[in-house]
Amino acid sequence: MSRLDRATELDDAAAVARARSGDLDAYEVLVARYTAPAHRAAVLLGAGADADDVVQEALVKAYRQISRYRGESGFRPWLLAIVANETRNLHRSRHRRDGLVLRAAAREDAEATSPDPAESAVAVERRQQLVDQMRQLDPRDREVLVCRFLLDLSEAETATALGVPKGTVKSRTARALAKLRGRLVAGEVPSA
Amino acid sequence: MPEHQDLGAELRELAGWLEVAEPADQRAAVRARLDRPRPARHRVRRWIIAGVAAVVGTVAVVAPARAAVVEVVGSILRVAGIVPGGLPERPSPLPSVRTAALDEARRVALFPVRAPAALGTPEQVVLADPDDAGAPRVVTLTYRGGAVRLDEFDGTVSPAFFKSASDAQWVEIGSGPGIWLPGPHAVTYIDRDGVERTQTARLAGPTLIWTDGAVTYRLEGLPSLAEAKAAALSAG
Repeated sequence: MSRLDRATELDDAAAVARARSGDLDAYEVLVARYTAPAHRAAVLLGAGADADDVVQEALVKAYRQISRYRGESGFRPWLLAIVANETRNLHRSRHRRDGLVLRAAAREDAEATSPDPAESAVAVERRQQLVDQMRQLDPRDREVLVCRFLLDLSEAETATALGVPKGTVKSRTARALAKLRGRLVAGEVPSA
Repeated sequence: MPEHQDLGAELRELAGWLEVAEPADQRAAVRARLDRPRPARHRVRRWIIAGVAAVVGTVAVVAPARAAVVEVVGSILRVAGIVPGGLPERPSPLPSVRTAALDEARRVALFPVRAPAALGTPEQVVLADPDDAGAPRVVTLTYRGGAVRLDEFDGTVSPAFFKSASDAQWVEIGSGPGIWLPGPHAVTYIDRDGVERTQTARLAGPTLIWTDGAVTYRLEGLPSLAEAKAAALSAG
């Protein structure tokens, strides 16, 4: 959480404290503040078109479980843990991974904004490759990469969001990156 | 080729290129859900089952691993596809559940609320998922201490329930088609706002689903098809 956020009228800790005593107005402050990051996380973790549903479910559950919130790593990763869980449940109950994490990574307009069309075409292709290979990763590897890099969470925040020890985040991140790197190298060979 | 040294940094850069739709504003919806008093836990379970009127059924016809989805849209039953079976882990209740007297239910519902004569007087009448004017989309009648329930669903709206069942049988109820689900099944209810509510299905007993006009009925808890059929036909 940035200092700027802390300075806003009702900071997370105060909002949580009030929400805990049943103040729905205070909780609404949190809902407004964290809907967008929760939605982004849901989409990138694979909720696809169901992301809004996942977020709503998570926000309702978060309120009901708010007495369990300890505040070690902030409200956002705590909420994201519920989002991640809801997204997993979605997969479990549907047996599919809808709108998988990463879509339409390469935008056409990239070419327009880049001074060198050839270079931007390479960049577009590279991003597509990254997306494709991310999709192929084992879900646990993908989750950790999504949290650490796509959502830019710290190791501690990722640990909270994924419900694993910090050490596991560290080792899993290294392993997932190595796997992704391997896949990217392997993927380059046939695309001559 | 771009430098591949720092894959992490590259992924961070990638984040800006990913398409993420605009999130829906959840304030009103979350507030509405939290404003409602939460029923006690065992009540929730009962209502989950009670409220589950069925519009869409999943029926395993070939092998247990393959189940055909049967959709009920209005008075039409149609096979929509194949989905694997499986029970949801975390049930969530039907939206806005409240009890009412039978005649009140008949007054506020926009569809004919029927009570099978064969089952006697319903012990409880539950209204769920109301519209802005308070007209429920689902009405549930319970009998025999909750062991038997009839869900009546305003089926003129889009498909609203999905079910998975290990086996099922097509039957005729009056002149219309119906499905008999003798075993437990998973049910998902899609509410007015399109929010999917997963129901636990382990408790769902034998169920008969049929439609009449624009209304879909789901009768659960009668042990045999013959009994369920007789009750359905007595709903006149």
